[in-house]
Amino acid sequence: MNAIQRTNLGQAWLVLLLALLFGMSLAGVQAALGPKIEENKLKETLEKVPVVILGQQAADELNAKGETLVITPNTVAVEKGPVTKYYTLYKADFKDGTLAGWVVKTKGQGYADKIELLVGMDADAAKVTGLFILDQKETPGLGNKIVEDAWRAQYSNKETTTPFKVVKLATGGVNEIDAISGATISSKAVTKFVNQAVSDLKPRVAQFKDSDGKGVQ
Amino acid sequence: MADQPTATERFLQGILPENPVYRQLLGLCPTLAVTNGMQPAITMACSVAFVLICANVVISLLRNLLKPHLRIVIFTLTIATFVTIADRVLAAYLYQMSKTLGPYIPLIIVNCLIICRCEVCASKQSPFIAASDALGQSLGFGLALVSIAAVRELLGTGGLFGYQLLPAAWPDWVIMVLPPGAFITLGLLLGLVNWYSARKSGGSI
Amino acid sequence: MNYLIDIVLIALSAAVINNFVLYYFVGICPFIGVSRRVDMAVGMGCAVTFVISIAAFLSWTITTMVLIPGAPISSFIAGFFVSKEAAATVDLTVLSYIVYIFSISSSVQFVEMYVRKFFPALYKSFGVFLPLITTNCAILFACLTIMSNVAGVENPADAWDLGRSLTLALFGGIGFTLAIVIMSGIREDLDLCDVPEPFKGAAITLVVGGILALAFMGFTGVDSGLRKAMTPAEEVAMEMSVEPIQTAMIEPNLQQQIRGIND
Repeated sequence: MNAIQRTNLGQAWLVLLLALLFGMSLAGVQAALGPKIEENKLKETLEKVPVVILGQQAADELNAKGETLVITPNTVAVEKGPVTKYYTLYKADFKDGTLAGWVVKTKGQGYADKIELLVGMDADAAKVTGLFILDQKETPGLGNKIVEDAWRAQYSNKETTTPFKVVKLATGGVNEIDAISGATISSKAVTKFVNQAVSDLKPRVAQFKDSDGKGVQ
Repeated sequence: MADQPTATERFLQGILPENPVYRQLLGLCPTLAVTNGMQPAITMACSVAFVLICANVVISLLRNLLKPHLRIVIFTLTIATFVTIADRVLAAYLYQMSKTLGPYIPLIIVNCLIICRCEVCASKQSPFIAASDALGQSLGFGLALVSIAAVRELLGTGGLFGYQLLPAAWPDWVIMVLPPGAFITLGLLLGLVNWYSARKSGGSI
Repeated sequence: MNYLIDIVLIALSAAVINNFVLYYFVGICPFIGVSRRVDMAVGMGCAVTFVISIAAFLSWTITTMVLIPGAPISSFIAGFFVSKEAAATVDLTVLSYIVYIFSISSSVQFVEMYVRKFFPALYKSFGVFLPLITTNCAILFACLTIMSNVAGVENPADAWDLGRSLTLALFGGIGFTLAIVIMSGIREDLDLCDVPEPFKGAAITLVVGGILALAFMGFTGVDSGLRKAMTPAEEVAMEMSVEPIQTAMIEPNLQQQIRGIND
């Protein structure tokens, strides 16, 4: 038994010292890595914005030219009777100031868990330009097919005048979305979020555009 | 103490004879939760290895300074610190993976494997022996995780690391990557290990 | 009304749909270790439910009051050292894991002392499980879920309040009790079965647990259906706010909804 082990005071000092040491090492880790983690969180969404608005090909071309879109996030509150729904709306401009389009981040209950997705719209919100699933935990092999390019492509370049509807065996009607077999609920959930986001934010987009005038040439 | 195993022996024991998952049934929570793919399983094994080795060494350095009743508190403090570090590092450099693993990284804090090794070995042995013990245990843990993940991913998706290995006609056993598949796979593998070791020792268990 | 729906869904989700043991795999150790007899399983379940509620209360309070950026206590203290704006951005979430594990272990200690002193009978029935609970993943998991719903949300308005957090914890504990009691009932009968030698004990328990998990998977999707059923028709209409989807290709339950709107 040494002195530190024997006395309560020694133990107290030891615990304090250890707590201080661990606290400092955590503070160091946080100071070193914190900004990078924040950047990762932000990049996750921002990286997808050009793809969702312009499509993969055009986004790659833009990237090859070494240009990026200027992206400004906004929070939009939409009041619906007793509930207020919050959206994050990203405004994307080309380098020369032309408005490229809008991306809405929205979230809702899917089949198994929450689905978080990005919906792209063109400058006038007249068309849905694309869809990207950020986060989902749907059934592997069935519901998680919502992340596949082929299925998501059904939302690309569609007029926003008619809401999307989920159909088993699509016949090519206006804004018809083919239900994933075995995962009708997931397909419907995604479609519902897209429809909601579009109908909630279409009027807002016009307001935003007029209010700051930045996007109007 | 002549009967105390040496560092090498402790290292080797952790891998198979005293495998934390198959033999001691420790740390089953991550074993079941993150083994639906090889990548999360390996990331989890590495994180546990990092925490276990660091915690074991620190505890072993402190072993002569602590009163017994303070021991558990200090164990928890040390483990929680290293888990937070591992969690931050993953979030900074492997962001997608850290999102996939979600709460299971912080849950390493209450992984019985780590507390158990700190208590059984590190609080009594020198840092070198404690480190080799931790290394052996984490290798054994990693081995268990990888074996379960291999079975589940191969049967569930027809491939490993996302590469298709089985013929395309293979009907994916989706259930294997879902929660029930985890229980059933571990149960069957556990039975298999029991059967094998019983046969090797030549008698009934 | 919406709040009530939220609470019911969180409760249902924690207790059966995404059961802590059978879906998230937390609390597996007692699930295998303490599920030999039904009375022991009930004792363990009660102890966990009790502690998990206390831990949830503590962790919600600490997270909201101290840890998140702009939390009242931390920004008040930081206000003495730096400017007000800088104080509001103090982010202590890096300490959350340490804080949670300490609030869990101290609440376990206090609960143990309190129960031993004032409810000796109760202590006899489940007191022995209390020390084991500190390393039960289910409790830390509940704290972490609460944290991700308080600190991890994009809009502060979506953050969980105390009611939601306590519901999650309480029903998570009930779900744990449910799983472990069902398991112990099965195991009592399993003792009479002719299980192959290598599978005796943990192996067969895990396989049975897999079948239980399979059964619980049947609850998936109940929550979205329930939300639909509980939302009043006019609110559905408001939420959709685009024309209702054509009836031809909709499954029965939705069709009813829309009929409800049109009536």
